[in-house]
Amino acid sequence: MTTTTRAIVVPRGVQPPSPSPMSARPRGRRQDHPLWFLLPALAVLVIFFFVPTIFNFVYAFTDWSSFKSGIGFVGFDNFVSLFTSGTLVNALRVTLVYAVLVAVFQNVFGLALALLLEKDTRLNRAARVAFFVPVIMSALAVGYIFQALLKPEGALNEILGFVTGTDVSIAWLGDTTWTIVVVALVHSWKWMGLSMLIYLAGLKTIGADVLEAGRLDGASWWQTLRDIRMPLLAPAITFNVATALLGSMNGFDIVQATTEGGPGGATELLNIFIFRTFGQGLFAQATTMSLVLFLMVTILAFPVIRFLRKREDVL
Amino acid sequence: MKKTLIGFAAVAASAALILTGCSDFTAGGGNAAPADWPAQDTKLDGVELTIWAAQNSNKVPKTVIEDFEELTGAKVDVVTIPDPYEQGVQTKVATGDKPDLAFWQPTGSQLTALNAATNLQSLDGAPWLDATKADLRDITGFLDDTRYAALITTPAVEGVYYNKKVFADAGVTELPTDWDSFIELGRELKAGGVTPFYEMAADRWSTQWWIHVQLADAAADGLWDRVNANEEKFTDPTILSTIETYKGLIDEGLFNEDIKTATFEDQGDALLAGDAAMVVQVNSFFGQLQAKASAEELDETIGFFPISPSGNIGTFIPDQSNALVAFKTGDATKEAAARQLLSYWLGDGYPAFVEAQNTVSLQDDVETPDTVPSALLAVSDSLGSAVGSMQVHAIANPDLYIFLADMIQGTKTPQQVAEATQEHFAELAKAQGAEAF
Repeated sequence: MTTTTRAIVVPRGVQPPSPSPMSARPRGRRQDHPLWFLLPALAVLVIFFFVPTIFNFVYAFTDWSSFKSGIGFVGFDNFVSLFTSGTLVNALRVTLVYAVLVAVFQNVFGLALALLLEKDTRLNRAARVAFFVPVIMSALAVGYIFQALLKPEGALNEILGFVTGTDVSIAWLGDTTWTIVVVALVHSWKWMGLSMLIYLAGLKTIGADVLEAGRLDGASWWQTLRDIRMPLLAPAITFNVATALLGSMNGFDIVQATTEGGPGGATELLNIFIFRTFGQGLFAQATTMSLVLFLMVTILAFPVIRFLRKREDVL
Repeated sequence: MKKTLIGFAAVAASAALILTGCSDFTAGGGNAAPADWPAQDTKLDGVELTIWAAQNSNKVPKTVIEDFEELTGAKVDVVTIPDPYEQGVQTKVATGDKPDLAFWQPTGSQLTALNAATNLQSLDGAPWLDATKADLRDITGFLDDTRYAALITTPAVEGVYYNKKVFADAGVTELPTDWDSFIELGRELKAGGVTPFYEMAADRWSTQWWIHVQLADAAADGLWDRVNANEEKFTDPTILSTIETYKGLIDEGLFNEDIKTATFEDQGDALLAGDAAMVVQVNSFFGQLQAKASAEELDETIGFFPISPSGNIGTFIPDQSNALVAFKTGDATKEAAARQLLSYWLGDGYPAFVEAQNTVSLQDDVETPDTVPSALLAVSDSLGSAVGSMQVHAIANPDLYIFLADMIQGTKTPQQVAEATQEHFAELAKAQGAEAF
């Protein structure tokens, strides 16, 4: 699910500079790119994206369920009952916390890796590939592997026990306060390779002369990072933060595989709640929830992207 | 250009809406009883049937199907729907995808979830009913007085599985005869340094059994009818007090220390090893034990007794592996063939099926194999007097077990468990169009 939103924001800095604006192009362009070339792609987009989205809006206002054949309009009934019960609000809160945690961890890890593996040595190239492997792994597989590692009698506790010489039986996935942090770390671990790649690409666009000038002026490594490289990385940060934040709001697979929303609902993301509700035959309610998620992501996306883009104005 | 695109998208989308008429894909089908029950050996060359099964039931029909294919020339395909099975099936059926037969929990709430009146064939007047043991014939499988499910094995019973050796070591000779003596026994065992009860809150689903068995007497007294009519709620004293009792027993320390993180797997290991004395569970738990120990070992170590507040009454809860439903697919030949397969399964094919499954027979004339473990026989013996669980009698199956697990994890109080369950029940009941909600 995370991949779907990743394509939305185009990183400005990591792409080749765009050609001159449309108005300045020769007139012949319209002939070699006729509009109807768009049709196949558009058809796919309409059938698999627009229509379901519109259905999503429509069914949220009905009583569609697996229990009966008829579908009737019920107005805002579903919204009222969902917001009066605390579960939806809790799921929304958990989803937001999760998304923020993932955005922070994934970017910190990704940036750290990029800085660490910046030089094009043979070892670094191999390490980059290694850190990118989790990105292409199945999210469910990652989740199940971590679930096994993090069990009270799992490998992590065994290792800790071996190192400390005591019997360790921490329930990493059984704490109602900290498990969400653990799961967010797993999510970030899986996706940090992608952030690393984009930060690496961003770092490569920074001219060596700029850094050299900084060094000649007596700037330390830390000062060059803070005052030169970070501002110039702004487009990469925009892309990484936006995709991590908005992508993890659609999170499902890793959390489902590790905790199924437990313990005690502490990691019940909205998508897990939707999955459970849909599976119980309450299709309209599930649709309403996914509409709420859609709206939440949209409402959050605009200010976040706007804010991040604003930072790019220095460029 | 942007405007043109948006316009095009809007037109396409509204056209799609109008075309589908905003209707349910599964709509259609009447409510007539099947016209006939074909003879078991009617030739079915060229007929292909599909059976949906779950990961734990997909091997159940193997021998029956092979024999049926040989007898009739039909081809029967078993398709495994991944877990969670019920959710997967419901979603598929909702989008218009139907098999000819499917394993399905034959309870009112689950038949409602499949919209039985529209999607399932009525099995009223089925030929195998006369051969079925009288006290099991009408135990389950009905919705609104129509029979939709064929029971193939004995329904699961919620009761107490105990470790015989632990009982013997503690000097326990008499099994508890009611709830109070059951809890008293737990306290005695704890005083003797034994963990009396084992629960698996990490896997959550068995938490509800502790509530169901405490409600057995109330269920026999029509509790669920009152809940269905919204005359009594989960938050009223009858149900709420059972949740409070459960919480009280956990707080008292009568359960395993790792109750929050223990899993189904751990529960089986603990009872087999004698780390805990008792477990309130259903038949699938015994299935888990069978995978871990030999039949003789199980006969020596594991026993079963039903429990209820007033005595040794079991609470039965048929699950998906116990029964099959036949779908209305609109293809008369296949629908008849599906009924024929059921008649064969529970007719001429039944002795071989019981033998192959090594399970308790539902029919008077078909002997239960000698090799069936004694605990399973005890389970089946308790069926005659057992009362139905929430899933059997309530019109909806709320997430009680999840809320109870939340309570064990410490994020809900018993009162909040009852409130959340009532809210979820009302939501499901309302979606079904139940009058009182």
